[in-house]
Amino acid sequence: MTAEARTVLSDLLRLIAPAAARVAVRRARIPADDEDVTGYWTGALEAHASEEARLLASAFATAKGDPAVILLRNEAQALGFLRAISSVRLALRELVFNDIPDSRLEASEDLDDESLPAEKRHALACYACFGLLQQSLVAQLSPESMD
Amino acid sequence: MARPKIKPEVRTETSAKAERRWNVIVRNDPVNFMGYVVVAFVSVLRVSHESAKRLMRLIHEEGRATVWTGDRERAEMLALELQQWHLDARLEQDA
Repeated sequence: MTAEARTVLSDLLRLIAPAAARVAVRRARIPADDEDVTGYWTGALEAHASEEARLLASAFATAKGDPAVILLRNEAQALGFLRAISSVRLALRELVFNDIPDSRLEASEDLDDESLPAEKRHALACYACFGLLQQSLVAQLSPESMD
Repeated sequence: MARPKIKPEVRTETSAKAERRWNVIVRNDPVNFMGYVVVAFVSVLRVSHESAKRLMRLIHEEGRATVWTGDRERAEMLALELQQWHLDARLEQDA
């Protein structure tokens, strides 16, 4: 990964952090019958999602080599990294290309559709790439979880 | 022999409510991968990989599954943790 690509990706992830937090809260089915629970739940989800996106941005910013290697120090950090990838994928899915049906997203050949605006194509590429990264990490961390 | 005094049991509506059981439901979503969902279940629900895979397959095939049933406090905690894993988890009162 070039230094420029690393900077662009880190900046993108920092920008998406607040959006990822909003998406996490919006998607959640927060119990509404108890004000204290609702407040705690919302705060916990927002803080968690923001922290995850920052973790991802900082991991990419410190990635070394080509292909880039991201070192995760322990299992807790690796699990946090997995959640962070999921958070960003959900934010991209909901905010950038929620008009594209799921079935089309699963067909990788459609991801490079030149008729789509550039920012949408870039977001789709990030979405697919983060998916591969997540699966690769699950396979390393917990091979018995893979089918 | 004296007959034991039996204190009449008083069941108020409040205590009956507190005893109700709650289900943690997880619904299928198109973004999270199967392996990731299994890791989330193992981590949050503390179940074996086999049980986690069974739950994941059930959700994939049926669209949703009850992954835990019990008291409300614990159900809330588990649902929140699963949502922090970005799964579509919610609470439902047991019928």
